[in-house]
Amino acid sequence: MAAEHQSTGGESDGESQLPLGASIAAAAVSAAVLLPVVWLVGTGVGVGLDSAVALLTRPTTLEVFVNSALLVALTTAACVAIGVPLAYLTVRTDLPFRRFWTIAVSLPLVIPSYVGAFAFVSAFGPQGDFQRLLAPLGVERIPEIYGLEGTVLILTLYTYPYVYITARASLKSMDTTLIDAARTLEHDRWETFRRVTVPQIRPAVAAGALLSGLYVLADFGTPAIMRYDVFTRVIFVEFGTFGRDTAILLSLQLVAVTVFILWLEARVRGEERTTAGGRSRAPVELGRWRYPAVAPVAAVAGLALVVPVAILVSWLGASSGATQPLAFRWSYAFNSVTVSAAAAAVAVVAAVPVAYLSARYGGQLADAFERISYVGYAVPGVVLGLALVFFGSSYATPVYQTLYLLVFAYVIRFLPQSVGSLRASFLSVDPELPEAARTLGQSSAGAFRHVTLPLVAPGLFGGAALVFLTTMKELPATLLLRPSGFTTLVTHIWTAYESGYFGQAAIPALVLLLVSGLSMLVILRQEGYDVQ
Amino acid sequence: MHDPNDTHRTRRKFLAAAAAAGVVGVAGCNTPDEGGDGTETEAETETSGGDGGGGSADPDQIGSGRGPFGDRELGGVSMEEMPDLEGELTVYSGRGEALVGELVGFIDDLYPDLTIRPRYNTAAELVSQIETEGQNSPADVFYSVNAGALGTLADRDRTRALPREVLEFVPANFRDPDGEWIGTSGRARSVPYNTDALAASDIPEDIMAFPDTDAFEGEVGWTPTYSSFQAFVTAMRILEGEDATREWLVGMQDLGASTYGDEFQIARAVADGEIAVGLANHYYIQRVLARRPNAPLDTAFTRNDAGAIFNVAGACVLDTASDATLASNFVRHLLSAEAQDYFARETFEYPLVPDVDPVGRLPTIDELNPPEGLDLSELSDLEATVSLLRETGAL
Repeated sequence: MAAEHQSTGGESDGESQLPLGASIAAAAVSAAVLLPVVWLVGTGVGVGLDSAVALLTRPTTLEVFVNSALLVALTTAACVAIGVPLAYLTVRTDLPFRRFWTIAVSLPLVIPSYVGAFAFVSAFGPQGDFQRLLAPLGVERIPEIYGLEGTVLILTLYTYPYVYITARASLKSMDTTLIDAARTLEHDRWETFRRVTVPQIRPAVAAGALLSGLYVLADFGTPAIMRYDVFTRVIFVEFGTFGRDTAILLSLQLVAVTVFILWLEARVRGEERTTAGGRSRAPVELGRWRYPAVAPVAAVAGLALVVPVAILVSWLGASSGATQPLAFRWSYAFNSVTVSAAAAAVAVVAAVPVAYLSARYGGQLADAFERISYVGYAVPGVVLGLALVFFGSSYATPVYQTLYLLVFAYVIRFLPQSVGSLRASFLSVDPELPEAARTLGQSSAGAFRHVTLPLVAPGLFGGAALVFLTTMKELPATLLLRPSGFTTLVTHIWTAYESGYFGQAAIPALVLLLVSGLSMLVILRQEGYDVQ
Repeated sequence: MHDPNDTHRTRRKFLAAAAAAGVVGVAGCNTPDEGGDGTETEAETETSGGDGGGGSADPDQIGSGRGPFGDRELGGVSMEEMPDLEGELTVYSGRGEALVGELVGFIDDLYPDLTIRPRYNTAAELVSQIETEGQNSPADVFYSVNAGALGTLADRDRTRALPREVLEFVPANFRDPDGEWIGTSGRARSVPYNTDALAASDIPEDIMAFPDTDAFEGEVGWTPTYSSFQAFVTAMRILEGEDATREWLVGMQDLGASTYGDEFQIARAVADGEIAVGLANHYYIQRVLARRPNAPLDTAFTRNDAGAIFNVAGACVLDTASDATLASNFVRHLLSAEAQDYFARETFEYPLVPDVDPVGRLPTIDELNPPEGLDLSELSDLEATVSLLRETGAL
């Protein structure tokens, strides 16, 4: 990093003194993230106090807030309960076909959650395909899919990869010699996991859980299809009735809730510094559980990936013979991969100074930079997109409705994914290692590049993977900011879905999975680690 | 296979043939076999020589009169007789690419000096986008799924009046009284019902009687967040008053109305027997039937009330249009014989130009009984409707 050249001296002298270059870079990133919020606040305030008070004191307000809180809490807990064991199985054990399962259980992140929700309702709803399959067996009714439980199920299936990917990165860079040490102290395997592994991966799991929780808070499509009434629906009712300013005001309430969650998370973070050297030993042998252990992994991936694809393909069959107005083109896949790769690269580069300062130095300013990076993630994509429509059309006409502004929007929206993943990795780097390198004659930048960066590589690529996969499925900001005629896989899926040509969404959805899977393979290879 | 010029000539020829068929049809000389064969051959030539701009794998072509419910002939004014389009045009389309992309691509391909840049999104988001872009908006034309979005832009002084010769294509009740926007195709509110569960005679002809219909208990579906439904409740407020509407909303909830996200879901749920009856725009039923002709699904209409309103999809020219003449001539093309026939066949909507009939198991536009004296642009006043929906707990 160029920033590191100027930080000579600051690093070794004291923890409180932030290196100047990295600070400027982090401040610039924070300013970019706050830019849209400035417009949101200006517009939201314009609505006036009376409307704001009236909106807040409606009888349904409390109910939807409670509903949202329940949904966020339950889904986040479920994501941790699924994501961490999957990460452990695919990193630390001798599970068969680990590389395949690593990719398979990451991929639900690219399925747009409304597509997942639609598929689950089609499959498991009353009179759905699943019920019809069971009908000959005398099954009259299957459990209700609509409502809180169904919404939690579906959002968990499509957001646990946040926890999975961050936890996985952390497990990969963990110093497993500590586990050996614990084992020699005659802790059993579970005790070792609880006392050694859990504290080491806690910051990463917390970062992933935060990403899952905030995603759920700002998601609209799934609760709408699952008929579960949450706060975002209130916002979208306003958009649907051309009350843009009121919708923005309501979105600011989401930002306020997010700030509260971030504050809460910072409070419970506690002692996070862990040390790791990237020394790892042979994986845990599952023994006779080696093949049975595949079952839960396959079940999660199967449920999240096979159900939507199977439903879409069945619609494809049902609609053959009818007119087919939406031909698929490979350029859509190329477009998706190009913008997603660009967004991932920029998001990781922008995240380095923010994550590094927060993990390595801490302090109010560094933490503020890190927390601010979450703001763009907290507002629904359509609101963030409109803010950039304003700035683009008013002040940046040359880049308005070009890919530059679109990638900028993705970066602002998904920055916390790379920051969270990277920060957890920086935390696990023993600060003495780069210092040792410096005593051996490396410059500050050299020590960062040759010692710190290789150690955080899993977090770096984990963050890139998260941004890449979520950009692959991003829809609302894409629709507002894309160049005219620019079609991605997901805009194509949306076009088919929105017009009721569900079958036409099958091919782009399959291509989305295929292309994302191949891209994940490339990303994982870059890690340079021993995924088998 | 063909070079672009060649394709273009072929298209012109095909349009001329289609127009000729139209004239024949209007004159009452029915020669469906000859006309059908002729146009079909032209259409296939056009498809194979085309650049795939519409992305269509569909042998049916614009202006051919062919459709899933049988062939027919065209009436109205052909694109051939309209002013040529030349220049660059940015169209913000709240109508889906799957539904109108082929038509927009067709018009684009028709004129070598015309470039259309369509931008597809939901109508509500495009209104927000136009509002946010302000005077820097690149948009020339806004093409909307409903009159409400058009009326909103007109109310906010973002539209430019259309010329009289464009407005005259449709009857006065399908356009803005001040000429700020025009309807291009119509959608009737209707009552989809499951024919295994109910008979046509079980459906009241009065929408206000629905809450008192015992047969609907636990069997009715609605879409409180859906814009067409909100327009319908707005109509009820205007026609029946706030109190009666409130009573109706409460009564429907007492019936145990199931909430759905959109009206295509309603039509499918009725066809599946998940519910026996629902409230939906007419074309969703036709779309389910086109795919599943034997589904136990049929359409009922109420009479002269909010349940029978007839709304339009339409277009307006924006105040930011760089070439207002080009923009209004594009809107004129949406009223051509070819476009009107396209709407009937591809989206199962009602054509608004009087010479083109609807397609499907539907009454003609004259056989519908929409309420009298309702101005469609009044339906854009959704604010009070949303308040009422919230107050009664429907939202």
